[in-house]
Amino acid sequence: MEKTKIFLDENYMPKRWYNIQADLPKPLPPVYSPRTLKRATLEELSVLFPMEILKQEVSQERWIDIPQEIRDIYAVWRPSPLYRAIRLEKALKTPAKIYFKWEGVSPAGSHKPNTAVPQAYYNMKEGTQTITTETGAGQWGSALSYATSLFDITCRVYMVRVSYEQKPYRRNLIHLWGAEVFPSPSNKTNAGRSILKENPEHPGSLGIAISEAVEDAATHEDTKYSLGSVLNHVCMHQTVIGLESKEQFKMEERYPDIVIGCVGGGSNFAGISFPFLHDKLKGDKKDLRVIAVEPQSCPTLTKGLYAFDYGDSTKLGPIAKMFTLGHDFIPPGIHAGGLRYHGASPIVSALKDQNIIEAQAYYQTEVFEAAMLFAQTEGHVPAPETAHAIKSVVEEAKKCKQTGEEKVILFNASGHGHFDLKSYELYLHGKLTDFEYPTELVKQSLKKLPKITED
Amino acid sequence: MMKTIGLLINPISGMGGSVGLKGTDDLYEKALALGAEKVSSKRAEIFLESLGNIKDTLFLVPSGEMGEDPIKNKGLQYEVVYSVNGLTSKIDTLKTIEEFKKRKVEIIIFCGGDGTARDIYEAVATEIPVIGIPAGVKMFSSVFAINPKAAADILKAFLDGSSKYKDSDVLDIDEESYRADKFKMKLYGYLKTPYIPHLIQDAKSLFEGHDEEMAKEGIAVFASEFMSDGSLYIVGAGSTTAKIAEVMGIKKTILGVDLIKDEKLIASDVNEKNILNLIKNEKSVKIIVSPIGAQGFVFGRGNQQISSQILRKIGKDNIIIIATPQKLENTPFLLVDTGDAELDDMLSGKTLVICSYRMAQRKEIRKD
Repeated sequence: MEKTKIFLDENYMPKRWYNIQADLPKPLPPVYSPRTLKRATLEELSVLFPMEILKQEVSQERWIDIPQEIRDIYAVWRPSPLYRAIRLEKALKTPAKIYFKWEGVSPAGSHKPNTAVPQAYYNMKEGTQTITTETGAGQWGSALSYATSLFDITCRVYMVRVSYEQKPYRRNLIHLWGAEVFPSPSNKTNAGRSILKENPEHPGSLGIAISEAVEDAATHEDTKYSLGSVLNHVCMHQTVIGLESKEQFKMEERYPDIVIGCVGGGSNFAGISFPFLHDKLKGDKKDLRVIAVEPQSCPTLTKGLYAFDYGDSTKLGPIAKMFTLGHDFIPPGIHAGGLRYHGASPIVSALKDQNIIEAQAYYQTEVFEAAMLFAQTEGHVPAPETAHAIKSVVEEAKKCKQTGEEKVILFNASGHGHFDLKSYELYLHGKLTDFEYPTELVKQSLKKLPKITED
Repeated sequence: MMKTIGLLINPISGMGGSVGLKGTDDLYEKALALGAEKVSSKRAEIFLESLGNIKDTLFLVPSGEMGEDPIKNKGLQYEVVYSVNGLTSKIDTLKTIEEFKKRKVEIIIFCGGDGTARDIYEAVATEIPVIGIPAGVKMFSSVFAINPKAAADILKAFLDGSSKYKDSDVLDIDEESYRADKFKMKLYGYLKTPYIPHLIQDAKSLFEGHDEEMAKEGIAVFASEFMSDGSLYIVGAGSTTAKIAEVMGIKKTILGVDLIKDEKLIASDVNEKNILNLIKNEKSVKIIVSPIGAQGFVFGRGNQQISSQILRKIGKDNIIIIATPQKLENTPFLLVDTGDAELDDMLSGKTLVICSYRMAQRKEIRKD
């Protein structure tokens, strides 16, 4: 009989992270300093990040050991279960075999603690007293507050004001794990104060929150900054997801034909797919398809430009080569807040640029429709971000129905949607808006990227 | 049992539209001189043809183009109750309604615009239910069905007892000030209107407020960026399109259609003929318009200067629609009613509506 859940014993939890940089056909383009527009040095970046993290960021080693202290904490929710979505398959009448890796079992309810914990750990090792970060709807802020609480590090979260006021539950989680959380723009930083001076009612934005968190870290002793996605080390920490999945597929004596994940910054997608891409890059699994799914309203990989751009709207972070819609692009207020990012991980971008992975974009309403189908068949309520991956799975499974192919499809169920029920309510009342990026009209407007001459 | 229905048509309604007159109330002769065509009798005919074979119904009509002409030869039972002499006027409307009342009509159908709706309101108030067939230049009142066919559907529902009533506001703006680029809207009263949900337009609303101003600004800045592509832009009416001109430092009429190329005003307040002339030798021509009020009409109500002939010439791919999120929130879908059924078909379907800086919403355009 087919199993519904494939469990991995704690002893089989990965002991090393997989660093895909070692296997990239071409090395990643270098990162540039926003201040000098020259190659960024580790010293420059060390104001914001601990040295061990920076070493991981640029490491070319294929495998990097996971310290035992981190594995002990991972054990709280890892290895996470691999599910076979039998009921979804039945509903779709597809011969495809659909599997999902369920990351909603972590304390914060998503994949985010997979990197929050190691980031807090390395900071603790290097004597960091306080970590600052920004959060939009609160997913990352809550994961980092959980992680810092484990190592007695103070955590200061700058939360976009409009979410702070309208989405109290994630804010409560942040408080519950002992972190401080401020509505951004705040009067804690120069960046925040200057904005409040002009408009005391400013609703805030992720760009402003990043500026505040970075300024806070840069101007205080023993204070570092932490980012929840995009960067190489973050993607690498997430590879525990895919590494476990590979072991679980061995137990099933199967191997996926298609691996799917949603992309905002790219870390959960990296987590599920990089360990499988390892086999593809080696030449063992040449036919493996890997699909990155994004919203039509923020279609970075499908419609963006592969170029050097700032990682944040305030131009404080390093300049990297990536798919971008322009650092001054502000995505509309879709319900998958985690996918609202103008750029994408430089590694994911490079893989897309070299056609090693594919990208798809979907509209908000059709994504929620897929999420409803998933919730009604599999029971779990997915986060709106995760629902993007589900929409792609449904489409691929329908193709299998037409061709009769019994493809094995794996997707990362990156988080639960228990704090997103308001969005489901709007969907059920037909009140969701389908935003779309007007590509043709924008093409001429992408003139404001920093001028970098590759050396 | 035989049901009695009053039908009256304002034959001059809608004539000012294609010649850029923004209303025909006192300008019938000017409209004629500018080559305006009569539109209301055509619309009345579409309405009558859409009724199909309705039984036990008697239409009471005034003579000539106010009623008799369009209903002749339609296979419908009718009776002329009032004779019109010479040019039609408000007096004829009022006298016809007097006759309707005497004959105790169960419902009055009229074909016209806001001006006609006002005249009818004066004569019947909420005494008798009314359905408006849209044919005017200004149609801010919510008494109008979204098109002649919908008006026929509502009448059929009324006759078989499946419709409901609502109070529909009668709005009108002063044509004099409308032509001088000022909206002076006045609520004149309410008519009792039968409706099937979704088939009657809501009163056109004008949105104001800080947030929408910001959205307009975003749209305008984006538009000013992509409009510098060397194309000639036919810019439709409304405060959202006017904002683009403002960002470019150009003075545009709020209610008229203007032509802009490379951030320069080429012509102001143009009519259909002017447009056709001015686009003759252009390599690339695009249209940028905003839907009108809460009804969501892109073409057909307002912007009538951008006629079906112009739309066909320029093509669907060169039409850019802009609207603020506030406006779109109250507009579940957009509508076209160009009077050219095939063109309406072509324009229907999913489309992008630019709603802020570098962002669009996906909206459906429906033909009426």
